Amino acid sequence: MALENEQIKPEIMLREKQKVGLGRKFTQIGDTITFELKRNIKSFILMLLVFIGVFTIFLVVSELQYMQDVPLPEDPIEYIQSYLGTMFGFLVILSAAGFAGSIIAEDFHRQTGNLLFPKISKPRLLVGRVISRYSLNAICVIIYYILVSTMTFIKYEEIPIVIWGSLGWALLYSFMIFSFVTLMSSIMKSTSISIIVSILFLLVVFNMITLILRFAGVESEPLYILTYYEGIITASMNMPNPRYTEIRMPTSFGSGGANQEQEFATFINWITPSEATALIGMLVFTSIFLILTYFLYIRRQSKNE
Amino acid sequence: MKNVLIQLKNLTKKFGDFFAVKGIDLVIRQGEIVGFLGPNGAGKTTTMKMMANLLKPNDGEVLIRANGELQKLTNKNKDYLLDNIGFLIEIPYFYGKVTPKEILKYFAKLKGYPRKNINERVDTVLEMIGMLEWKDKKIGTFSKGMKQKIGIVSAIIHDPEIIILDEPQTGLDPTARKEVRDFIINLKKSGKTVFLSSHLLYEISEVADRIAIIHNGKLIAFDTLDNLEGKAMKSVIHFELFNSLDGDIEETINKLKTIIVPLTGISEEESWINYNNDSKVFQVFFNGNPKNQTEILRTLLENGYEILEYSVPKAGLLESLFIELTKKNEKRGDL
Repeated sequence: MALENEQIKPEIMLREKQKVGLGRKFTQIGDTITFELKRNIKSFILMLLVFIGVFTIFLVVSELQYMQDVPLPEDPIEYIQSYLGTMFGFLVILSAAGFAGSIIAEDFHRQTGNLLFPKISKPRLLVGRVISRYSLNAICVIIYYILVSTMTFIKYEEIPIVIWGSLGWALLYSFMIFSFVTLMSSIMKSTSISIIVSILFLLVVFNMITLILRFAGVESEPLYILTYYEGIITASMNMPNPRYTEIRMPTSFGSGGANQEQEFATFINWITPSEATALIGMLVFTSIFLILTYFLYIRRQSKNE
Repeated sequence: MKNVLIQLKNLTKKFGDFFAVKGIDLVIRQGEIVGFLGPNGAGKTTTMKMMANLLKPNDGEVLIRANGELQKLTNKNKDYLLDNIGFLIEIPYFYGKVTPKEILKYFAKLKGYPRKNINERVDTVLEMIGMLEWKDKKIGTFSKGMKQKIGIVSAIIHDPEIIILDEPQTGLDPTARKEVRDFIINLKKSGKTVFLSSHLLYEISEVADRIAIIHNGKLIAFDTLDNLEGKAMKSVIHFELFNSLDGDIEETINKLKTIIVPLTGISEEESWINYNNDSKVFQVFFNGNPKNQTEILRTLLENGYEILEYSVPKAGLLESLFIELTKKNEKRGDL
């Protein structure tokens, strides 16, 4: 435990020339990005394996169908869409929860904040973490698209250009979901609670609200439901017109005689927002989530503070 | 007199209607170790968090020396001012899956330490604390004491001039405590300034040049240990007899009372003599005056007692002082 005073002095002189102010902000954010990329590399590999696993399942199912004389879709876009259905939406939610669930909650739950916050301010830490973790999330999505486009090329000897537009929507949608989970992480007490609550909202609560509103006869577009924006990922390649389907359902289930006429009601099932609406909606939601996160985070104090 | 490096002026922090810290005035001079002593919940950590800009004071200010002048700590200049200070606030918690090398490198970069020297610096600080061979192991596998040591070196990784340590010996075994104590003394020897909080009287008294005592958010004393003892004028003598006690212990204590109490310099009602059966040590409460201390020893010897050990432990002094001051403070609060 010997300290060499002689060694210390030159280092102090050097440090006095280090950046402060704006330069320091960017340096700290950069260092946080590097540190977080390294720290989350195992989670990234695990998540990437999940994405590749899901792709493989789709591929195997598709090949089995082909072997049973079910022909491939004529249009390569339809083939691509078969990989980007509900399961892909679930993957986006899962990876966002995996990467963002701990982004804020862990420093308060595990009290690592007492070590960190004297060294870096919360806003800089947040920016660095969001950039690094979302980058890992985005790489998983991009690799999935690369696999899908590679298979499409093998099968059809072409890759429709619209797939890259769809990738753009997927990245924007995943960033919105990531921001939502980040907000949950700034509110919840622990990482596991923030992950569970986020998944519960995104997979159950939002879908229930959609169903309730639909069957309550609400016909307006559910722009307030986050998961509704998932539709643009597939629809952008081949926009349906109209962007909704009508569902006819019986309103009563009586015994019904031969002369009794069954009554039906029509409900609107929205498939996708328009491209302009999706862009504005997702940007607005993302901004709101991140701004709210920022204010909640800087106000939040760890235990005993 | 050496330069003031940190000055707290009327520092106050309220949580709702509760004053966690109330009007603290304190100066820390270059090269000294200042002990910050107080019971749990006294306001030590809150004060340190305000010094680290983690909490905003409701009133008062923290001044830190930079470029030859004391500057008020604000959000705008915190990078610049706090670069020269290393903090360990409360028990450190780490991410389990990182190694000491990774986390210390990250902290050094955040605090602007010259990048080309970081690897060397990490090795140096780990060697200081005897943990160099653990630098590539996951922190999750470390014991509490090892984590505490990594926490302490994380406060000095960027080689600050001032080191602020909040209860660094909490949860450590006696060997690790001694290591940390030696580490702190070595920091002082190398010219560093240390501000150290603890509720462990002994740990503070062993290392601190000056001691600030905080109670219920208020600073109730701030001086050197010698001056504080002088102010308190009360302390405890510890002595051990060479021969084992013959007969009833109560009887021995009564005999001792007869000859010692008139020499303690305090009233008969206030004075006391205790005997610790485990350590075989007698404790005599007296006024703290060295003359009385010498007189008591002489009288014991004259009365045929063979003294094996006779001392006034600093912790004992501090303990009685601390109790007296906190009682006074409580009485003042009641009025």
